Amino acid sequence: MTREELISRLDNVQSLPTIPPIVSRLNEMVQDEDTTAARLGKVIEKDQVLTAKLLKMVNSSFYGFPQRISTINNALVLLGFNVIKTLIVTSSIFEVMQASDIRLFEHSLGCATAAGIIARRRGIKNPEEVSTAGLIHDLGKIVLRAELPKEYDRILANSRERELPVRDVELEIVGMTHSEIGGILATQWNLPDSLVIPVKYHHRPAKCKDHQEITAIIHFSDILIRAVGFGSGGDPWVPPLDHKAWDIIKFGKSDAREILEELDEKLAELANFTGEIDQEQ
Amino acid sequence: MQRIPIKYAVPGMKLEKEAVTPEGQVLCGPDSELTAELIERLKKQGVTVLTVQGRPVVLPGDKSLGTRLKELEHRFSKVNNDPVLKAIKKLIAEFWIVQERGPEAVASAKRTGGQN
Ligand SMILES: [Fe+2]
Ligand SMILES: [Fe+2]
Repeated sequence: MTREELISRLDNVQSLPTIPPIVSRLNEMVQDEDTTAARLGKVIEKDQVLTAKLLKMVNSSFYGFPQRISTINNALVLLGFNVIKTLIVTSSIFEVMQASDIRLFEHSLGCATAAGIIARRRGIKNPEEVSTAGLIHDLGKIVLRAELPKEYDRILANSRERELPVRDVELEIVGMTHSEIGGILATQWNLPDSLVIPVKYHHRPAKCKDHQEITAIIHFSDILIRAVGFGSGGDPWVPPLDHKAWDIIKFGKSDAREILEELDEKLAELANFTGEIDQEQ
Repeated sequence: MQRIPIKYAVPGMKLEKEAVTPEGQVLCGPDSELTAELIERLKKQGVTVLTVQGRPVVLPGDKSLGTRLKELEHRFSKVNNDPVLKAIKKLIAEFWIVQERGPEAVASAKRTGGQN
């Protein structure tokens, strides 16, 4: 498969659930300056299934709000429209991911958790947006798996046999990496740049010009979550660290210890969320 | 210490850290001994995870410290020339050793010149 073939294929993804029509309605509403969180909330809450899913996500430990968020209106105020919209757009993808690749799902939740911890420590304005970027950073892998299952199997088999990182094999077999694929899809879905860019550049953070701090955090969080061995990104290896990105967010040993401690605590709570323990009983 | 989902809690275990509701309310403090009644009450209040003393439970997927350290080494096998990542690997190993054996374990490993 050539790059061009893949790009045109991505224009017309068949294998994944479609984006709920509510998203374009909400997008229109947001353009209108009079739209309030309360009005957006009312529209979303008409869809009870979606509402339940959203509330489950926003209350999971990687966002780390101390009190329970019980209404969509509340969620919109606390997390912002960008986050809620992204969760709506990607909710069906995460269902696919949870059902087909629980280890990648865990990797994504873990990356979101680490990213939120680091973002909060750095005093970033909307740390929930950074968590959300972590949540969707490997979106391209799910698209690859769903849309090109044969190629995906070949990629994983090659990675295992030749002991190469999945990213390198992706480039060889489909001419593109999952980060680029994720970036294309996220752009198509009109997600904001603060989310598209970290998805697209999480393995090459030095290449991005905007949103460098968020991208650096996602790059490092992906490394950290693989380092501690939570979930799986497809191969077992910790990816190389980009030192330009590290210079943006670097911290010393005592900070690192605190981050590890907090991450460990939050990951223990996540194990409940993913339901892995329930399944094994 | 060990963090366990509350369904693994049994009477007689002792808390290492306070039990907290999802809303952040502290229900009982460190060193409290769990009873059947207390466990039920904590569940009712929405507590999902407890941090208990020692390592009383083997959770599904739990591996021994030795196995975990070996896997840690393997995961880093392609990036060992990076000083930052090497430092992170060491901190993770230390964190796990302290979690399992207490702070003394890392200190004595350092004294005897062990790899951690
Ligand atoms: Fe990735
Ligand atoms: Fe990843």
